[in-house]
Amino acid sequence: MFQNLRLAMAWLHTWFGLVLGFVLIVVFFFGSLSVFDREIDRWAIPASRFEPQPMPSFEQVLRPAFESMQPTRAAIDEMRPRVDGPMPERFDTVVRWGAYTTHRDPVLGVFAGYEVPGAKDPEDSIWADRTIDPRSGATLPDDHLKIGSQFFYPLHYSLTLNWYSLGYWIVGFAALMMLVALVSGVVMHRKIFREFFTFRPAKSRQRSTLDLHNLTGVVALPFHFFFAFTGLVIFAGIYFPVTHTQLHALHDRHEQIEAQETGLPHDRARQPATLASVDAMVAEAQRRWAAKGMAGDVGFLAVQHVGDANAYVSLYRAGTDRIALTGEGIHFKASTGEVLREDPPTTAVGSINEFLTGLHLQHFRHWLLRWLYVLGGLTGCVCIVTGFMFFVEKRKHQHAKQGEQGARVVDALAVTTVTGMLVAACGMLVANRLLPEAMPQGWPGRGDFERYAFWALWLFAMLHAFVRSAPVARGEANPAWREQCVAIAVLAVAAVVLNAATTGDHLLNTIPRGYWPVAGVDLALLATAGLALVAVRRLARRATAATGRVRNAEAAHA
Amino acid sequence: MRDPLLLSAALVAALAGMGWLALAMEAHWPQVFAARGPTPRTSRMLRVLGAAAIVTSLVLCLCVDHATMAVLVWIMALAGAALAIAFTLARRAHWLRVLLPPRCVAGPG
Repeated sequence: MFQNLRLAMAWLHTWFGLVLGFVLIVVFFFGSLSVFDREIDRWAIPASRFEPQPMPSFEQVLRPAFESMQPTRAAIDEMRPRVDGPMPERFDTVVRWGAYTTHRDPVLGVFAGYEVPGAKDPEDSIWADRTIDPRSGATLPDDHLKIGSQFFYPLHYSLTLNWYSLGYWIVGFAALMMLVALVSGVVMHRKIFREFFTFRPAKSRQRSTLDLHNLTGVVALPFHFFFAFTGLVIFAGIYFPVTHTQLHALHDRHEQIEAQETGLPHDRARQPATLASVDAMVAEAQRRWAAKGMAGDVGFLAVQHVGDANAYVSLYRAGTDRIALTGEGIHFKASTGEVLREDPPTTAVGSINEFLTGLHLQHFRHWLLRWLYVLGGLTGCVCIVTGFMFFVEKRKHQHAKQGEQGARVVDALAVTTVTGMLVAACGMLVANRLLPEAMPQGWPGRGDFERYAFWALWLFAMLHAFVRSAPVARGEANPAWREQCVAIAVLAVAAVVLNAATTGDHLLNTIPRGYWPVAGVDLALLATAGLALVAVRRLARRATAATGRVRNAEAAHA
Repeated sequence: MRDPLLLSAALVAALAGMGWLALAMEAHWPQVFAARGPTPRTSRMLRVLGAAAIVTSLVLCLCVDHATMAVLVWIMALAGAALAIAFTLARRAHWLRVLLPPRCVAGPG
């Protein structure tokens, strides 16, 4: 079919890169934003704009919060089809309480899982979530969306397409094909070292676009490779669902044997028992970590089989000082506070897995490395965008002559996924600042409206990109690029101004105070606006030059 | 204060290292000095210098963080430095003259 390996690779790289590039750019862009998800959360929820807090006292703050939790009506309705017989109104048998925090979280996310009588799968539970202020235990409104960690981050790994976990599969396939694109790209690119630093903006557009594509692909190659690969490792359990399909019985048996070996009860004893002081267990865990030379705070706290004689408390260390995601878990008998088990050092395979997942999930405390990850992610975006542009540049004149629409469609989709995505993201932040604190009774939640704003703007950007795409069919540029850059600049500045107006946290206030989470989001928005305006100016200059050329040609004909 | 200084030094070393490696190449030397070159000897020297700076950058990263983290900081710093050098070469190539004292350039070439 192909004359040689290089041609075969070129075909693979072009077509898989093009089709999955539209997915990958979403993954790369929202992945880059997810590096600062907690900071975006704080921008989006002004009530959470205070300093990060350690895990609060269990007895004083967490326990009252856990005991007052119940699943929402929506969660109960969602559970209903998975239950034989009537659905109870209250859930009292707690399977698990959990609280999770990082060194960047001012507010604390807590969750509780409950047994459901009559559930078709006895292991199925119903869950309740809440966000609390760890200083007081006060509850934050449920419908306030943490835009960073609850929207941009899920977009990164699942496109928020939860139907049959379809999003995970699309992103996983895109990551796999990205590895293929990297390998085929290296094979196609004959002069990796000779053109390592090469970018020639003065050359033809096709040449300079390809230069930038190669440059951003090659210099960040280790980053691109490792992030695509570790992303697949993290979700290996989804892509190879062995335990939950073919080997269900074996999996259950394994869990029971593991419980025997670790001494952590697999099931409830069905005998009530009280809960000893968890704060004392936390102190003991911290003493043991310090004795190992790994002093640290609790990152994850869980109580299993709450209220039962078999209950136990698991404490995991917040891993801020290394890449590997190690918890150094210590487990206590809940009724007495005695140590049941300290997790042993991991095996070699386990350590590699912890390193690879930690590298991607970045729980560490290292601001320089975080910014370098953003740089890597945005470099990936540039690589994908220049790939689209090269595809269009190479074909548009030929397609114009033959009357084909291919370049036009690809260009419109590129506008949608590049500038359109930015319009939607900036517009969502504007909506966040414009919506009232509480929505009227019976309306969807505030967070739902923010989501609607995001998808509506993105859809609108797509329509705009296609409506304005006719010039591409004549071999000219789509004015939608320029127009959407204007929209990005306007929305980004509007978000900063609205943040100042509605919260008083303007840059003259946040920068002197050193409140970087909010100042950083504002500054990033202003930088985005600035870059968008530079792009507008350049595109306008190019458009004028192109019209000039057309006029001259027409004059020559006349 | 020590850690930010060491990390800044690591970034500077990565930048200088990538800059020297670029200057060692026939395609980029003329962009910077508007003259033919470098001589094979200068080119070799620049390559050694570049490699040494890049290793220095790694050592500086290792002084600050756990080895696993330091390696990541270093790899990402190299990527950033390579991008910065490529863009400087494209738009403001003469800036890279700071990397080489004028008498090294004046030689035959």
